[in-house]
Amino acid sequence: MSTRPDRVVSLRELAAGIPDGSHVALAGFAITRNAVAFAHELIRAGTSGLSVTQVFSGMETDLLVAGGAVDRLTYASGSLDRFGLLHAVNRGVATGRLELIEYSGLALALRLHAGALGLPFVTTRSMLGSDLLAPLVAAGQVEQIESPFDGAPCLALPPLRPDFSVVHVDVADRAGNAVVDGPLWSIPETARASKVALLVAEEIVDVGELDPSRVTIPGSLVHAVAHVPRGGHPTAVYGRYDYDAAHLRSYVAAAGTGAEEHDAYLDRFVRGVSTFDEYLALAAA
Amino acid sequence: MSADGRWTGGEMLAVAGSLQVHDGDVAVIGLGLPQMAALLAQRTHAPDARLLLEIGVFEPMPTEPSAGIADPRMWRGATAFGTTLEVLGVMAHGGRVSLGLLGALQVDPWGSFNTTEVEEADGRRRRFRGSGGGNDISSNAGRIVIVMTHQARKFAETLTFLTSPGRQVGDRSRADLGLPGEGTCAVVTDRCVITLDDHGATLESVHPGEHPDAVLADTPIPLAVPDGGTKETPAPTARQLAFIRNELDPNGWYTS
Repeated sequence: MSTRPDRVVSLRELAAGIPDGSHVALAGFAITRNAVAFAHELIRAGTSGLSVTQVFSGMETDLLVAGGAVDRLTYASGSLDRFGLLHAVNRGVATGRLELIEYSGLALALRLHAGALGLPFVTTRSMLGSDLLAPLVAAGQVEQIESPFDGAPCLALPPLRPDFSVVHVDVADRAGNAVVDGPLWSIPETARASKVALLVAEEIVDVGELDPSRVTIPGSLVHAVAHVPRGGHPTAVYGRYDYDAAHLRSYVAAAGTGAEEHDAYLDRFVRGVSTFDEYLALAAA
Repeated sequence: MSADGRWTGGEMLAVAGSLQVHDGDVAVIGLGLPQMAALLAQRTHAPDARLLLEIGVFEPMPTEPSAGIADPRMWRGATAFGTTLEVLGVMAHGGRVSLGLLGALQVDPWGSFNTTEVEEADGRRRRFRGSGGGNDISSNAGRIVIVMTHQARKFAETLTFLTSPGRQVGDRSRADLGLPGEGTCAVVTDRCVITLDDHGATLESVHPGEHPDAVLADTPIPLAVPDGGTKETPAPTARQLAFIRNELDPNGWYTS
């Protein structure tokens, strides 16, 4: 009888495995399915110098930037939908404390796809003629080429292989096979491209309980999974809970007022508690 | 607001924007006003318009207002969930998207637009959302319609940041750049409808209560006037207004 690996760890262990200066790919989208519990834990751990990649950045990245954990962000966009902009990210770019590298959404997803497959490069026509192109060419991250087959102008994009990825999933079994319900944006590419794929799960079940047809991320790709119910709060997790509109509004109000007010939010809701359950109780109060 | 208060500028914008969506269009739509215009079209004259969201949502038919494309309310009634590689890649890059319906911070005379950052009066740059899938949609869709509120500073000969290419960039056509599709064919605001072709931009119609000269004065890019003069945009119908107020945007988040 074979045994399956047990990849379940605590959230603290998951975060402690991320060294300062790592390249971490995150997989939330604006106000939905953000790994907020993981971001809180990294901030409490005092992690710094991260390079973060997130195709459609949301609250998790804004929290990490506000918490001083991030030196560089690679993204295609960032917002909290109609709740507002990513104020820590935008402030960091304006002050020069955060290096920002911008792509189109498809171009960045394709770079992750190339990383996942071990391709030498991928190609697209997106970004041709736009102001996104020149800084990427100058940084050696994109090259304008002609198709070797028909001479069409296109771009060559190198693969992206982040050190870690973190995805907030619905259900994982103890070996890390995971189900993500709802739309998937760039979640599969993000998990597949990273050297070490980490999960935060709403639910953990025993191996064998998941229908393999429903598995979004195979455990073969996954290194560890932590169990954090409601770990996406205040962002929404499809089919489980809505975003917390009142909390998001108060977050944006603090974040948008200034760095000091943003830091006061972190002091209260992140550094002022020691677990995500304590945060959830505080946020519900 | 119309002169006699029968509708708001936002409602007029949603209605005029919706008329740019044709029945049978496969359309990728952006956050906010584009959502309003697309959903209004879907529920009125274009029931067979297939809406797509870059988050990986196919053909949603939401029945309550949402805070954006990352709000699960916006995904209700979808026929399929997939990935960004499927929507921006397979559908848009693959040549299967006829229309991109998008918002903009700033537009140039050829319909290229900026969703990245604007320059404030003091010269500082203020960052907004970035491209997201906007560049991919405008680079690959058959045609693009921009919907945005009308302010003179949003029209510029040279953009602060060219996030998404229109019909040409500098003196290079889309074909020269290697891009398919015709590019931006209309800019719809809460005051007018501007159409674009390979000769440039035209003040096609102004909304009821607006005078073409006043709109021209607040639109600092070259605008032609069509043969026979600028028309009046059809006024919103009672049915359109009822749908906006009762179902689409009862809280007035986008159209108040």
